Amino acid sequence: MSFIESEERRALRAAVAELGAKYGPSYYVAKAKAGEKTDELWNEAAALGYLGVNVPEEYGGGGGGIGDLAAVCEELAAAGCPLLLMVVSPAICATIIARSGTEGQKKHWLPRFADGSVKMAFAITEPDAGSNAHCITTQARRDGDGWVLSGQKTFISGVDEADAVLFVSRTEDQKGNLRPSLFIVPTDAPGFTWTPIEMEIVSPEKQFICHLDEVRLPYEALVGEEDGGLLQLFAGLNPERIMATAMGAGIGRLALDKAVSYARERQVFKVPIGAHQGLAHPLAAAKVELELARLMGQKAAWLYDSGDDMGAGEAANMAKYAAAEAAVHCVDQAIQTHGGNGLTTEYGVGMLAGVVRLMRIAPVSREMILNFVAQHSLGLPKSY
Amino acid sequence: MNIVVCVKQVPDTESPRKLKSDDNTLDRAAADGVINELDEYAIEEALLLKEAHGGEVTVLTMGPDKATDSIRKALAMGADKAVHLVDDALAGSDALGTSYAIQQVLGRTGFDLVILGAESTDARTGMLAAMLAERLGVPQLSLANKVEIDGSSITVQRITDYGYDKVEASLPAVVSVVEKINEPRYPSFKGIMAAKKKPVEKLGVADAGIDADKVGLAGAATEVVDFADAPPREKGQIVTDEGDGGAKIAEFLASKKFV
Ligand SMILES: Cc1cc2nc3c(=O)[nH]c(=O)nc-3n(C[C@H](O)[C@H](O)[C@H](O)COP(=O)(O)OP(=O)(O)OC[C@H]3O[C@@H](n4cnc5c(N)ncnc54)[C@H](O)[C@@H]3O)c2cc1C
Repeated sequence: MSFIESEERRALRAAVAELGAKYGPSYYVAKAKAGEKTDELWNEAAALGYLGVNVPEEYGGGGGGIGDLAAVCEELAAAGCPLLLMVVSPAICATIIARSGTEGQKKHWLPRFADGSVKMAFAITEPDAGSNAHCITTQARRDGDGWVLSGQKTFISGVDEADAVLFVSRTEDQKGNLRPSLFIVPTDAPGFTWTPIEMEIVSPEKQFICHLDEVRLPYEALVGEEDGGLLQLFAGLNPERIMATAMGAGIGRLALDKAVSYARERQVFKVPIGAHQGLAHPLAAAKVELELARLMGQKAAWLYDSGDDMGAGEAANMAKYAAAEAAVHCVDQAIQTHGGNGLTTEYGVGMLAGVVRLMRIAPVSREMILNFVAQHSLGLPKSY
Repeated sequence: MNIVVCVKQVPDTESPRKLKSDDNTLDRAAADGVINELDEYAIEEALLLKEAHGGEVTVLTMGPDKATDSIRKALAMGADKAVHLVDDALAGSDALGTSYAIQQVLGRTGFDLVILGAESTDARTGMLAAMLAERLGVPQLSLANKVEIDGSSITVQRITDYGYDKVEASLPAVVSVVEKINEPRYPSFKGIMAAKKKPVEKLGVADAGIDADKVGLAGAATEVVDFADAPPREKGQIVTDEGDGGAKIAEFLASKKFV
């Protein structure tokens, strides 16, 4: 392992950054405010293979790793265009299908993840279970040679623009600790409906409550094994955390860039405001946090891509925690640096507050990560 | 068709550019290097011509070691191979020296068509294509915003102040392009991964048969004797609309030859 990324990884970052700059924050915000999607950017990035970098080559993908996909995600976020569905569709869903899917499922789905022509949402969160995934109640019942799925999910991102949703559920006779069964449900399946949740986040991607009312599915809707256990689920959740790290790091970079260029120019006493340590030190501290989080994210990606799922789990959780904290601090200090302009629409800093605040909550909350570290890394007793 | 694209690495126009105070040459270490903007259009045009007519695209770069990044990018966009002319003896070459050095390299690679950006964002002399064509004894088709090839003849639209000229020549030839010609592609992920395996031939002045006395700062026929910072930007002209705003804006644009 080297602390310097490979020449190809850096070239990928440069290429993606250039594409991102063509769109930029103004494009992203305009789309979000108009209630539209960032289709143009998604399609162009997809055509260049950027959204399928991690899909195996034999299925038309780039044959790279989650580290490459995270680099794409970070650069787009740093350019002001964080694509939330990258975290879900190619990172979680494509990974789970590539790892646990049947040959038929791989042949059907992976080439379409590779060229970005398909979007798949991911649904685990339930209203009553929340952070306690062991309490989910979405249930699959065998019915002839197929399945019938019922239950409710909440906060599911991108259902309105997805072709299908990967649902985490349990089979009817599976009680106690979760041994999840994963099902692909097309968004046009009869009995599957969803309603939007109004959110205070400036984002083209929306969240939905999903209702599954006796949705009939063919046998092949099941991905991996019935009651397949947590490992096949975690195959997708580590990439999710690595991607969340990348997105947090990208937004942190964006905020810090804006803050620094403002602090160099703006002058109210005799020197640029960036010369005042009261502003310079918090920006420098945020930069330190950001770089540490990025480094941990790269370590997690490296472990994951070299096949060490367990090692990657700890690093990915720590990286996600650190990136959310760093992003929150970068944005908060960027707002402070801008004074009143920090909360104007024009400067585009204030609107990042909601997005980075979200990073402390989803996909896994700061507290649940600290629980994990307390128990697994430190060996402390569990409180719940 | 054997297409050679000349690609120059220049300091990023986004970052502050400086001349060195000791020899008045560009401080290439001070800023990030990027592909000269117009050269990206040249690369794109070469790739489009290759896609339409077959053949091979070779990137030719004269520049320091760190120009490798720009070469890799051109290869990632889809060029087949590259020749990198790199030698301390070349530092400080003027347009005359550069055109001579590139001519020598072209003597090795051969070519049916040489494509260049019409000028570079650092030196901005815009003379290289003309000098090169003259040295090579082939036609120059300059400022092209459209290129068509039919067998061994080439036709371009050459932009002018009043519209465009249609210029025809026979191959081999040298073409310089402007940014209206196409939209350069971004390197795809597969392109980036493939670039690593594409051949890059590194040549020094001796390998290319270049007479070291004719290149570099010492061999230059021109010299930068002094430089000063650009004057601060002047206040813009404000047109108050008194019913004739549109006409006044059109007048202004016409006076600056924008329309
Ligand atoms: C914008 C957005 C997009 C989302 N997209 C998706 C998606 O696409 N798919 C999906 O499945 N989900 C998605 N989610 C859901 C997200 O993963 C959950 O919101 C998150 O996991 C927290 O669950 P909860 O909201 O139920 O909070 P709760 O579990 O109710 O937690 C509330 C608070 O209590 C704390 N807490 C709970 N238990 C403990 C404990 N044992 N110790 C200490 N503190 C504790 C939590 O940390 C949190 O601060 C999204 C959420 C948002 C906001």
